[in-house]
Amino acid sequence: MNTRQNDPEQERRTIHLKVNDKDYALAIGDTVGAVAPSDTLAHTLRETLGLTGTKISCDQGSCGACTVIMNGKSILSCMTLTIECDGARIITIEGLADPATGQLHPLQQAFVDNSAFQCGFCTPGILMSTKALVDQNPHPTRDAIQHALSGHFCRCISHYEVVDAVCQATTTEGDHD
Amino acid sequence: MQPFQHQAATSVADTIAILSTHKGRAKLMAGGTDLLGILKTRATVAYPKVVVNIKSIAGLDKIQSDGQGLSLGALTRLADIVDSEVIRDAYPILAEAAASVAMPQIRNVGTIGGNLAQETRCWYFRYPHSIGGRIMCKRKGEAACLAVKGDNRYHAIFGGKKCFAVCPSDMAVALAALDAEIQISGAKGQRSVAVTGFYHPLGNVLETDEMITGIKVPRPAPNNRQVFIKHRVRDAIDFATVSVGLVVSMDAKTVADVRVVLGAVASGPYRATDAEAALVGRKLDPAVIEKAAEASVAGAVPLSGNAYKVDITKTLVRQALQI
Repeated sequence: MNTRQNDPEQERRTIHLKVNDKDYALAIGDTVGAVAPSDTLAHTLRETLGLTGTKISCDQGSCGACTVIMNGKSILSCMTLTIECDGARIITIEGLADPATGQLHPLQQAFVDNSAFQCGFCTPGILMSTKALVDQNPHPTRDAIQHALSGHFCRCISHYEVVDAVCQATTTEGDHD
Repeated sequence: MQPFQHQAATSVADTIAILSTHKGRAKLMAGGTDLLGILKTRATVAYPKVVVNIKSIAGLDKIQSDGQGLSLGALTRLADIVDSEVIRDAYPILAEAAASVAMPQIRNVGTIGGNLAQETRCWYFRYPHSIGGRIMCKRKGEAACLAVKGDNRYHAIFGGKKCFAVCPSDMAVALAALDAEIQISGAKGQRSVAVTGFYHPLGNVLETDEMITGIKVPRPAPNNRQVFIKHRVRDAIDFATVSVGLVVSMDAKTVADVRVVLGAVASGPYRATDAEAALVGRKLDPAVIEKAAEASVAGAVPLSGNAYKVDITKTLVRQALQI
């Protein structure tokens, strides 16, 4: 379907995204590098912007692998249309480490220190939900961590180590049992 | 996904105009977590020509409360319902039901209107077209319901007719327990439908040129108690196998008024009127609670693989009344 033929208004429109503090302007259309109306944000991040750290697993909104932070909230990028994200601020897994030094974000380091992954495919999504949680609540209880991460599947069963890692990264004296 | 055109609606009137123009070939998108799932699998034959973003309609996400009751805009996000002080204070059943939906990422975008209008999770209905072809069934207007002879462990135990799929909405159960109404706007004007009357065995009452604009919830009697319990296989993401919403108000020591609503057992939230009758005017003692639990499943007709839902229903009703 050629949307440009049907809707001349749409051809002129451009989607502006701020991803990991970098501005992108993407044309709407079906050419290479443009955003088609049916493109999901996960697709745009990976295929158009080359940010392949965000993973697509179930592509049905059930597994959490594609989680990114949009305007401060964790969302599923596979269940979001890019065309509806104009003006959004997005943080992906590529935005966690320090861009100048490459030093890992403390949450990422805690995951490494606790072996909180095996194959690692679900890890970027889990880290983004964790980031969204600690941005709101820097010292969450173990229960709050489990609830915040309840939307993530890990087929390697890393959940226990993940919760330990988040506890370790966010602990102050005696926060967790 | 297959291509579609995309439009951003600016108002309710604008949305209805777009819906009217495309006569069933336009789909509304709010949170999108239900719609995109169906579009990706192409489980249904009809594929929209136009997807209409309604998140762009200003002011349709308000939570307002006064002495009469509560008013929710259709675009109110589930996460905002969970966090609302007003709702936690006077309508806690709504906050509990909203908190039980899916996962944080979905509650951050999912809306109350979308939760009510979501399509069933029946695995025959949802079967992806990409794996051997979609499965046609009564709900899709062709052939019979496959759940009757197939794997029906999550299907209806009440009122099964034509289609045995259940309504997956948790908010519908909580809202029906509060006797809420759904406000609908369409080409022919506005109307209001009780939540219990919104669903029918093959879907809901929305015409192709109508949309949900809001929910009206009457203020429950003072000193009422509200309970929502959701049973599911796993405590996250999963939809209910059975849920119960209970709103009860007491006169001194006896039940003055009560609504017992069951979820995931029928094509819509199911009001257990026999259980309500067993409670009104009585003290909530163990014998009465037991009678009400038994009465809640009066008329249940389980399929070959879902009789277990009868036992879960009785247990949940008992638990809700004991809290």
